[in-house]
Amino acid sequence: MPELLRMPEVAAGATSALLSSWSVPVDAEYASGSVIAVIETDKAVVDMEAEAPGRILRTLVAEGTEVAVGDPIAVTAAPGEQVDDLDAAVAALGAASTAAPAAPASEPDVSPSPAAPAGSGTPAPPTAAAGSGRIFISPIARKRANEAGIDVTAIVGTGPNGRIRRRDVEAAIAAGGTRPAASPSAPAATATPSATEPGFVDIPHTRLRRAIATRLTESVTTAPHFYVKGSARVDRLMELRAEINAGEDVKVSVNDLLVKAMARAHSLVPAMNVIWTEDHVRQFSGVDIAIAVATDTGLVTPVLRGVEALSVTQIARASRDLAERARSGQLRQHELEGGTTSISNLGMYGTEEFTAIINPPHSSILAVGAARPEPVVVGDSIVPATVLRVILSVDHRPVDGAIAAQWMREFTVLLESPGRILA
Amino acid sequence: MFCDGFGMSEVSPLQQSAPWVRLETTDADWDAADPGLLATMFAELVLIRSFEEFVLQLAGEGLIHGPAHSSIGQEGGAVGSALPLVTQDTVNGTHRGHHQFLAKVLTHLAPGGIDPTQPVSPEIREALLRTLAEICGLDRGWSHGRGGSMHLRWDEAGAIGTNAIVGGGVPLAAGSAWAHRHAGTDNVAVTYFGDGASNIGSTLETFNLAAAWRLPLCFFIENNRYAVSTNVSEVTAEDRLSARGPGFGIPSWQVDGMDPLAVYLAMQQALEYMRAGKGATLIEADVYRYFHQNGPFPGSAFRYRTKEEEAQWRARDPIDRVAGHLVRRGILSEDAITEAIDRSRALMAEIGEVLLEPVPDGKPGERRIRPSEWPDPGFVDTGIRGDLSEFDGVRTVDRDTFTGAVQEMKFIDAVAAVMGRRMELDSSVVVLGEDIHRLSGGTNGATKGLKDAHPDRILGTPISENAFTGLAGGMAMDGRFRPVVEFMYADFMWVAADQLFNQIGKARHMFGGDHPVPVVLRSKVAMGTGYGSQHSMDPAGVFSTSAGWRIVAPSTPFDYVGLMNAALTCQDPVLVLEHVDLYASSGEGPVDDYDYCLPVGKAAVRRQGADVTVLTYLAMTSYVLEAAEQVADHIDAEVIDLRWLDRASIDWDTIEASIRKTNNVLIAEQGALGTGYGGWLADEIQRRYFDWLDQPVQRVTGGMASPSISKVLERAAFARAEEAVAGLEAMGVGTDA
Repeated sequence: MPELLRMPEVAAGATSALLSSWSVPVDAEYASGSVIAVIETDKAVVDMEAEAPGRILRTLVAEGTEVAVGDPIAVTAAPGEQVDDLDAAVAALGAASTAAPAAPASEPDVSPSPAAPAGSGTPAPPTAAAGSGRIFISPIARKRANEAGIDVTAIVGTGPNGRIRRRDVEAAIAAGGTRPAASPSAPAATATPSATEPGFVDIPHTRLRRAIATRLTESVTTAPHFYVKGSARVDRLMELRAEINAGEDVKVSVNDLLVKAMARAHSLVPAMNVIWTEDHVRQFSGVDIAIAVATDTGLVTPVLRGVEALSVTQIARASRDLAERARSGQLRQHELEGGTTSISNLGMYGTEEFTAIINPPHSSILAVGAARPEPVVVGDSIVPATVLRVILSVDHRPVDGAIAAQWMREFTVLLESPGRILA
Repeated sequence: MFCDGFGMSEVSPLQQSAPWVRLETTDADWDAADPGLLATMFAELVLIRSFEEFVLQLAGEGLIHGPAHSSIGQEGGAVGSALPLVTQDTVNGTHRGHHQFLAKVLTHLAPGGIDPTQPVSPEIREALLRTLAEICGLDRGWSHGRGGSMHLRWDEAGAIGTNAIVGGGVPLAAGSAWAHRHAGTDNVAVTYFGDGASNIGSTLETFNLAAAWRLPLCFFIENNRYAVSTNVSEVTAEDRLSARGPGFGIPSWQVDGMDPLAVYLAMQQALEYMRAGKGATLIEADVYRYFHQNGPFPGSAFRYRTKEEEAQWRARDPIDRVAGHLVRRGILSEDAITEAIDRSRALMAEIGEVLLEPVPDGKPGERRIRPSEWPDPGFVDTGIRGDLSEFDGVRTVDRDTFTGAVQEMKFIDAVAAVMGRRMELDSSVVVLGEDIHRLSGGTNGATKGLKDAHPDRILGTPISENAFTGLAGGMAMDGRFRPVVEFMYADFMWVAADQLFNQIGKARHMFGGDHPVPVVLRSKVAMGTGYGSQHSMDPAGVFSTSAGWRIVAPSTPFDYVGLMNAALTCQDPVLVLEHVDLYASSGEGPVDDYDYCLPVGKAAVRRQGADVTVLTYLAMTSYVLEAAEQVADHIDAEVIDLRWLDRASIDWDTIEASIRKTNNVLIAEQGALGTGYGGWLADEIQRRYFDWLDQPVQRVTGGMASPSISKVLERAAFARAEEAVAGLEAMGVGTDA
C-alpha cells in the first residue's frame, strides 16, 4: 500500500522547511535508518532518515522547494510492493497526481497541492492588534520608529491595549531594527540593480537571514528584556590564560574562560539557569551555553552542553569544532537546540560594550566587549588596568532584576579571581 | 404705638438713626435757581434725549448689535445728580447707563455750564461721537467697541464704567469711594442702579459695607418701577426703595426724578454729608422709561403696563418742565428752546454721518456702518491681561540667583513678613478680609502684627465676600491703592463669583485692554482640616478658566515672598494660593531680604528625573516629592513645581523640555476632579506635545465630590503622597528591576 512521505517538523515551531536534495533515486530500495532526503531548516542541514525499509515511488517536490511542514513530499512503498497504477494510487492518497517535479519555490506559478493551501506555511506578521490592521502606538513611539526607519508592524506593544510604547521601539532599535518579512507571494527579488531605479540593490533573504529576523523579532516582542551591566579587571584572567596556553596544544581563548565563568555563575545562581515556558519556569541542572558564531551567511548559535563539567581545554576544543562547522554549514539541528543562555563576543572588533537580543528560548545572553586598558581607581590612586565590560540581557518573565544582579556580581568576581573559574 | 391683645408688654416706637426724607421743589426753588444752572440742565437733558432718540433710530435700522437700553424719560435723575459733581467725583451705573455716563461726561467737559443757544464745543461733539461709536461696537469708541451700550467708561471724566450685571457695579463704586476717602480727598462716588438692582445681594451688601466704613458713596436709585416687565410692587413689600437706606444707617432722600432741580437739590444735600466725611447716602429718584427695556417700542406694546400710565408719566417730562421754567423766567425764549432741540438733533445726524454710510446698491435711506469704523478682528484677545512692562527694572531673582542670607523659617511667618514689608514701603497696599484685624493676624496668623503697624490699611470686613471683593476691585481699577483680599476659605469664591469673574477678571479686556486691575486675592486651601464640603476646595481650576486672572502657588517660604512681591507688582488680578498644610510647614526663606520678585512665568524643577514629568503645585509639591523618593528605585520622576498656574503665565519652556525628555506626564493635584486644575493643562499638553507623548497625560486628583467632615472620608477624598505613588506606579514607566 503506497504511503505519503510528509515534510517533518524538524525544529520545534518550524512551519516550513526546504527540501534540499533527495538522497536516494526513485525506485531504489532503502533500509530503515537510511538517509532518504536532506532538509534545510532555519539553521541547519538535516538528514531525513527512513523509519522503515522501502522505496520511493514518486517524488512530489523538486529539490530546492520550500515545503510546509506536514505537506507530502513523496510517495513510498514497501520494498518489492507492486503498484500498477501509480497515478491512481497517488490520487487516492490525495496528493497531486502529476508526475512532473514540483516547481522550485522561486517560481511564482508553483501549483499548490490540495493538502497544502498556498501560504499555509507562512506565519502572519505579528501586529499589535492582530486581524484589525489597527496598530496602537504612542505618538513618541511612532515618531522614534519613523526616525529610526523601524517598521512598527513587526513590534508587539507592551502598553495598555497592546499599545507600542517608546520602550518597545527602543528595544527594536537595539535589536537592529525590524522590518516586515517579505510577502511570501512576492516574486524573488534580484540582486541586479534595476535599470530604472539605480541606487540600491535588493539582496534576497537567505533562509538564515529570515530565521534570524523571525526569531529575534519574536524575542524582543515576547520576552521583556532588561539589561544588567558589569565590568571587571581582567589582568589576572589574561595571565591565567597565558599560563594555561603555555602548556597546551589547544589554545584557550578569553571567550572560553568567559564561557566557563558563565557556567560557574549559573551554578552559583541556579535561578538564572532557567527558561520560560507557557506553564512554568523550567530550571536545568546542567549548564548548556550557546555560543554566537558569525558566519558569512549570518549568526548561528550552537550549544555547548554540560559546560559546568568541562575543563577549559575541553571547552576550547568543543567551541572551535562548533564554530568551524557552523561556518561550513555542517551543524546538526540538535546542536542548535537547548541551552539557557548565550554568549556573544564582539571584543575582537574592539566594541566597547553592546546589548544583545536573547535567543529564544533562552532567558539571557551575555554581550561581551573588548578588554581594554583603562584608568581604575584603587584606594586613592588611579592605576592602569585591563577592563572588560559586559551587558547581560535578561528575560524578565522568568528572572527578576535582583537575580540577574546577583549573577553579575558572581560573574565579575570570578573574572577578577580567575582561579575560581577553574575550581 | 402698637398694643398686643394681651396688653401686658410695653411697646414703644423706635427711630432709625439715619433720616429718611422726601425732597420736593417749590416755585421758590425754581425762582432761586441760577439761570446758568437751569440752562445747562436743559442743554444736557436735550443733548441726552437727542442722543438716545438717535440710538433708538439706529436700533430700528438694525445698526446696533445687542440691546439698546433707552434712558428716554429718565434723564432728569442723571442730569440733576451729575450737575453738582466735579470731574474727580466718580460715577458708575448699570446696563441702562447712557444718560448717566453722558451727564457725567458733559459736566466734566463743561464745568462752567453749557449754553443751549450755541453749538456744542468740539470736545462735547467728540465725546458724543465716541459714545455713539462705542454703542455701535466701533473702534472709535471708548473701549474700541468691546463694551458697547452697557460698558461705557471714560476714567478721565470720572465715569468709571457701567455694568451689565444688575448690581454688579455697586461694590466697585464702593472701592472708588474708599480710595477717595483714604487718599484724603472730599470726592465722592455715585453708583446708579434701578429698582431691579435694589433687591440683589451685591447692592444690599454694599449698603452695609459702605455705611459701616462711612464711605463717600451715594446709592442713586432710579426707580423706574419696572425690572424689564416686572413691577416693583410685585417683588418687594416696600416699594419706596429709599426706605432701605435707614435700615443700614444711610441717610436717604426720595425725590421726583422727573424734576431735575429736585434731584439736584437732594444731591447737594447728600454731597454735603459725604464731603464732610460722614459716610454713604442714598437717593431714590422716581423716574419712568418711556420705552420698553430695550428697543424703540413702548412698554405698553408688551402689555405689562397701559398707555394711560405712560401718558401720565410723559406729561411730567423733565425737559418740558425745565423748558417751562426757563421760558417762565425769561431765560430762554420758546424759539430758543425749539432751536436748541433742533440743533441737538442735527448734531446727532451729523455725528451719525461720521459712522454710517448708505448701503451700496441698497434701498433708499438704507445705511450701514462704515467698514473702516469696525475694530480689527485681530484685536479680539488683545489686552486680556497687561503686558508685564510693570516688571521692567524690578529686581527679579530666583533661588539660584538669590545672594541674600536664607534661613529655615515657618511658612506663615513669611506670609506676614512680606506683607508687612510691602505695607511698610508702599502706603498704597491695603489688606481686607474677615477677621484679619483680630486674633493676632487673622485665623491663621497671615496678618500678624500688621494691624498695629498699619491700622488704617488692615480692614476687617463684614461677612459679605461679594461686597468687599468688589470693593477691592473698585480700588484696583481706581489705581491709587493696591488691595489685597483674603478669603478665609477658598470656597467663598463662589459667594463672590460675580465680582471675581464677571467684574475683576473681565474688566481690563471688556473696557478695551488698557485699564489695569491690580488686585491680589489670597485664598486659603484648607482640605484636611475637617471643615467639610464647603470649606475644602482648591480654587485653581476654576480661576484658570477666567482669562484675566493670573495664579501663583508658592510651595516654600522663599517662593511665597518672591511670588507675593510679584503679585503686588503685577498690574493684573493675581490669585495667590495658600494652603493650611504649608502654613504650618517650615522651609527655606530669606533672613532679611523681603523685596525680591520671582520671575513671572517660571516654574521650578524640584527633582530631576528621566522617566516621567510630574506637574504639581502648592502643598502637593512636597507630597509628590515624597512619592518620587518612595518609587525612586524603579521610577525616576522629574517633579516640576509650576508656581504660575494660569494659561498666560505657565512655564511652557520648562514643561516642554521635561516632556521631551520623559515623554510621560502626570499632573498631580489634591482637590476634587470636577473643579480640578489639570484638565485644561492636559488638554493643552496633548495638543502641544502629542508627538512627544508615550501615553495619555495622566492625572492624580482627589475624588469626585468635595471632601467630607468625617476624617476617614475626608482623607479618602483628596490626594497626598500615597495617591501620587499610586499614580506613578500606574504609569508603567521606569525600569522594572
